[in-house]
Amino acid sequence: MSALTPLLKAPGALIECDDDPEAVFELLCAKGWSDGLPVIPPTPERVERMLAFCDRDFDQPVARIPPRYGAATPIRVAANAVMAGCKPEYFPLVLLALEALAEEQYNLYGTQATTHPCTPFLIFNGPAAQEAGLNSGHNAMGNYFRANAAIGRAVRLALVNIGAAIPGTGDMATAGTPAKFTFCVAENEARNPWEPLHVELGFPREASTVTVVAAEGPHNINDHESLTAEGILTMVAGTMTITGSNNAYYAGQPVLAFGPEHAATVAGGGMSKADVKRWLFEHATLPLARFSKETIERRFRRKLAGQYADAPLDAPVRMVSRPEDLIVIVTGGAGKHSQYVPTFGNTRAATRALKRADGALAKSIQELRRG
Amino acid sequence: MAQLTKRGVIAAVVCSDSFMKLGSAQAKVFGVPDLPLLKIPHPLGGLSLDKVRERAETALPQLIETIKAARNTQA
Repeated sequence: MSALTPLLKAPGALIECDDDPEAVFELLCAKGWSDGLPVIPPTPERVERMLAFCDRDFDQPVARIPPRYGAATPIRVAANAVMAGCKPEYFPLVLLALEALAEEQYNLYGTQATTHPCTPFLIFNGPAAQEAGLNSGHNAMGNYFRANAAIGRAVRLALVNIGAAIPGTGDMATAGTPAKFTFCVAENEARNPWEPLHVELGFPREASTVTVVAAEGPHNINDHESLTAEGILTMVAGTMTITGSNNAYYAGQPVLAFGPEHAATVAGGGMSKADVKRWLFEHATLPLARFSKETIERRFRRKLAGQYADAPLDAPVRMVSRPEDLIVIVTGGAGKHSQYVPTFGNTRAATRALKRADGALAKSIQELRRG
Repeated sequence: MAQLTKRGVIAAVVCSDSFMKLGSAQAKVFGVPDLPLLKIPHPLGGLSLDKVRERAETALPQLIETIKAARNTQA
């Protein structure tokens, strides 16, 4: 008897359907259990294979996903991971991301239900990212790489199918973002001239972590001409400063994802990551006068009266509230481009390390193989 | 509001029409499916004060009815 057999007796756990990919896709779309793209049918056999890399109880929730507050049990998450096209080795990273999203500071309810176009941006660090084959080189934020595509997609499917982030009822995004299909990268630690994100946050280098950020889609920063740290950062600051960004009004932790070549130029100028954050805190500013009269009166003068009630029109509006709120990573391949990722306002990033069921850091995904 | 309702306090949520489905779904999730939703026209954000007053005028009679109905039930 399979370990799944008793769980599959729960009401609604199994649905009969023709053994045909198109029929399964039609059924899932009709039920609303989809992101609109074809999926791998989540048969019991496939779900069981996915759970080969799960050392938890299959029916114990690792998170509750709002707005429905559905129980994200491994068996349910595994069905979504199958649908997304995950390999079983990816599964611990999908669960890890959901655990991080459920941390209170991330504000999963707000980020799921808001009209703002935010979605989880998953940033993986440490050896498990390489083990899973997560791309951190050319086109790291783009298509083609199965781990990036499927892990991010599995998380998104879980948010819809378990959490009921259904457009118009549970996900009220005005227009959303294409990043809602998947937004998942690894940091390019080999080309990072600074300490990688997880080490900066206090995790051991050998830990594998995910950092989740409630992000908009990325915006490119093209700079083929600057030869100095200040030159590159001037172009970064120019890209960060946008009047329509939540980061101009709220806290949030936007992400600056340097391409390796820009990172090398900035670090070569003697700047640490903390220096970069401090410089951009000071220079990524817009004068108050750049906002509409109504926004100045209604938002800055009244809602943010503590800072702006009597501020002159040339007062700086900062894109990060504190230097340390800016998250700086390195990802991508060759080329003179970096990416800026604005965020939702009422949210903080959350980072979690991959651990075994006994609480010890997992040095490899293989340690999580069952049995 | 769900917590207040469970404690027996008369409570309601002002909800713009575009958000009624989310509001009623959330009321069910939080175990108070009959939580009154005071329906006003969308949007609520970015309105002049006159328009905000109009929204209040739409919500107020619903609030009074909610209070009357709750008192009748309690009595």
